[in-house]
Amino acid sequence: MEELDPEQEIRFIREMIERTRKITAGSWLFLLVWGIVPILAVAGMYTLVALKKFSWIWPNWVFFVTLGIVFSLIYSSTAERKSGIKTYAQNAAAYLARGCGVAFILVGFVFPLMKLYSWGIIPVLISLIAGILIFSLGGLFEWNLLKWCGTLFWLGALGMGFLHENYRALLFIPLIIVGYVTPALVLRSRYKKQSEAHEP
Amino acid sequence: MNPEKLSPLDPLIHSRIRLGILSILASVEEATFNYLKETIGTTDGNLSANLMKLEESGYISITKTFSGKKPKTTCRITKKGLDAFRTYLRNLEAYLKFKK
Repeated sequence: MEELDPEQEIRFIREMIERTRKITAGSWLFLLVWGIVPILAVAGMYTLVALKKFSWIWPNWVFFVTLGIVFSLIYSSTAERKSGIKTYAQNAAAYLARGCGVAFILVGFVFPLMKLYSWGIIPVLISLIAGILIFSLGGLFEWNLLKWCGTLFWLGALGMGFLHENYRALLFIPLIIVGYVTPALVLRSRYKKQSEAHEP
Repeated sequence: MNPEKLSPLDPLIHSRIRLGILSILASVEEATFNYLKETIGTTDGNLSANLMKLEESGYISITKTFSGKKPKTTCRITKKGLDAFRTYLRNLEAYLKFKK
């Protein structure tokens, strides 16, 4: 039986725990895809507005959001199979993301179709929910960058209040680049470093 | 501190493989057999034997299911196991403090 001395045991315990964190860093692709999807949808929307194809705006959003959902479902089932572990933080993050996803759909599609408010309010509410999601993920994974990004989305929501409703969605692009894409790329480089460190 | 007052380390945990198993399971909800094997760096037989010891002592629970057609063994730490692991860590830290 292989025995370690107490100091070796503490180091060994730390190493085992650190390896489970590698899986969290692997979630960078989720953040990246959910950053790119809305950017493409916003770009598509303004292109359609410029071309005066207003009836295509909703299908544009439905298309890109569906793409994101399909990717999320496929990626989460294969990632879970490959990773071999389920962490409490991942579980909580998955439920948080699903809850916010439902909120995004209600706020972005269902309520406007029910004419509860004008479409100009949508970017403000979406920014608010995105802020809650990212800030909470920052708390769950103990990552200050995400907390700041979440706060940025709230400030963005406030800032949108000062813009004409026609231009509010444009503010999404810089918000998402800073708030989603940047943390995704930071996480990706962490994941790569961790993977290299743990290679035999 | 009187060395006689140091609590002995749990012999069930005081083994590299079992310590590795409990360290991982204490920080996640569940882990598969293959994940434990690759992370700890041991063989199928060695891991199986140690998992059985921990399961018999009530420190972990093991669930066998299928992922498609492939068998999948998933392990979780029990409350008893978590308490034992925490006690082990406390005793280990006490021992290290005494050594210093």
